[in-house]
Amino acid sequence: MKGLLAVGLLIAGVVLTLLLGVRTVTPADVWHAFTAPDPQNPAHVTILWIRLPRLGAGLVAGAALGLAGTVMQTLTRNPLADPGILGVNAGASFAIVLGALLLGQADYGLMTALAFPGAALASAAVFLLGGGLSGDAGPIRLTLAGAALNALLLSLISAMVLMRAETLEVLRFWVAGSLSSAIERPVGAMSLIVLAGATLALILAPRLEALSLGAALARGLGTRPGLIQAQALLAVTALTGAAVSVAGPIAFLGLMVPPLARHVAGHDLRRELVASAILGAGVLLVADTAGRLIFPPAEVRAGIMTALIGGPVFIWIARRLKPGAQT
Amino acid sequence: MRGAVVLALLLIAATVASLLIGDVHVGLAALWHGLWGGDGPGALTLRIIRAPRAAVAIGAGGALGLSGATFQMLFRNPLAAPDIMGFTSGAGLAILVAITAGLTLPLPLAATVGGLLAAAMVVLLSHRPGHVTPALTLVLVGLGVGFATSAFGTFLMTRLSTSAATEAQRWLSGSLAARDWGHALQVWTMSSVLATALALQVRALDLLELGDDLAAGLGLRTERARWALAATGVALAAAGVAVAGPVPFVALMAAPLGARLTGSRSMGGRLAAAAGAGACLTLVADLAARAAIPGLQLPIGVMTGALGAPYLLWRLSREMEKGEL
Repeated sequence: MKGLLAVGLLIAGVVLTLLLGVRTVTPADVWHAFTAPDPQNPAHVTILWIRLPRLGAGLVAGAALGLAGTVMQTLTRNPLADPGILGVNAGASFAIVLGALLLGQADYGLMTALAFPGAALASAAVFLLGGGLSGDAGPIRLTLAGAALNALLLSLISAMVLMRAETLEVLRFWVAGSLSSAIERPVGAMSLIVLAGATLALILAPRLEALSLGAALARGLGTRPGLIQAQALLAVTALTGAAVSVAGPIAFLGLMVPPLARHVAGHDLRRELVASAILGAGVLLVADTAGRLIFPPAEVRAGIMTALIGGPVFIWIARRLKPGAQT
Repeated sequence: MRGAVVLALLLIAATVASLLIGDVHVGLAALWHGLWGGDGPGALTLRIIRAPRAAVAIGAGGALGLSGATFQMLFRNPLAAPDIMGFTSGAGLAILVAITAGLTLPLPLAATVGGLLAAAMVVLLSHRPGHVTPALTLVLVGLGVGFATSAFGTFLMTRLSTSAATEAQRWLSGSLAARDWGHALQVWTMSSVLATALALQVRALDLLELGDDLAAGLGLRTERARWALAATGVALAAAGVAVAGPVPFVALMAAPLGARLTGSRSMGGRLAAAAGAGACLTLVADLAARAAIPGLQLPIGVMTGALGAPYLLWRLSREMEKGEL
């Protein structure tokens, strides 16, 4: 029953993304745009060239971030783990601004090419600094290590931005993650990476569950904690890197989705992973559509919408942590 | 005692260095004459640009250092500082709102109001009736408020023109550029009033250090004392931010740095050391930011951010080793 709700949210997200926006489109238009596309019909053009890529980007980025959040939270046993908190966004932004500074004005292809390694390096760094591999990272360690790296990268970004005004133009629109320029992003290629990351996560799921019982017990059950952690980190990096390349920084989706997925799927990690992919895509699409409708014709970018929802969720979770659980 | 002398000498050296070093050459002899009159480019640079800038740096750094020390003692946690607890990001958001909305409100005032609002929000959100708020909950809630405010700030940045965005970015990183004697007078007045207020509460801090039960037993009204101290700490941070913008990490680093330099044990001595260290840190960071890349005057916040983040990481690993996190 709860599973149906999750799927329903995803379907609602898909339908709303196609139907709603500045230009009014009827369900019949959507049907005809797919069955008998007419390049002269503005409604069909809107659907096929603007909203469909947007839908694709939302599905890929949302599912990837939902999955990455669940893997991360299971791996670290930390309800505050989220790719954004762990420095992914700052890392990607840093790489892009550096590229824009060194190479002149950045185009979308360059941004994508730079976002991935920046995101991957930063998330790996925070994970290691926060004691992630020791297997008993408390919620606060990782969060604060992420905050520290964020601060460092932000001040370096700030220095670069003030050296050249053009880089600020690149930065301030990139930093607010969005699905709007989806057509210029490599959604297809990134969906393959997401697929690979998702497969790896699903294969790892039983061993991750064993690991979440504690490193010693996992070793007793015949698994190798270090290897599993490294593989899980690889999956997380692939997933978040792909999401950042497609949509830019989308904050807090990886924080909000896993608890919802656990609620929907119960305590079976494989089912949880599937649920988090569905919910991640659904929430992102709904947030994106809502952002387009709040102040038309201006749009509040999806990354800002998720951050505005996610900030309070973060506070709520932080408050619920018992003092003992914080160690 | 020796430590205090060292700190004082450091402060003097940093002041002299920040008066001497810059694009316009000023010699030691010119420094003395330039301060008391005379003209020529060196003397004018000194009197109109560098001396007020150094005065603002000392006042703001001292205020931020005192603020950080107050919070760290109050929560008995080296991570409790206005930068970590959302105050700074609230101040930044308010600056952005003021620029975006084209308010005629002076930016320092906006920063102060925003910082106060964010700090109040953090305190209210982490407070649970009947419980003492654990310091770490406060820190985490502060981070959460920081995330939400910076998301809103990111949204506002996308709505600004290029020139307004550059202006905002300069303010947001914290800067001491183009400060005049008016700013210096403002921050010195506010800081001295608040430092006096803090000095009157040193006994309360001393008692709270013994633990709430013992403090109450010795006749302290702990709840009221905590609120008064927190209010003083927030006001001190506001005094600093109002003239220098949200300079990150000075408040976090000043007290531990001061304690290490002076080794002072008494509460008053530690506070004074924190103020001195904050002033030193601000002067040196501003100097380094100005001189780091020739021809480009970086704002001070870039330098303290780059210094403070490794410090925060180091502090974290220390706390982890001690098993406190």
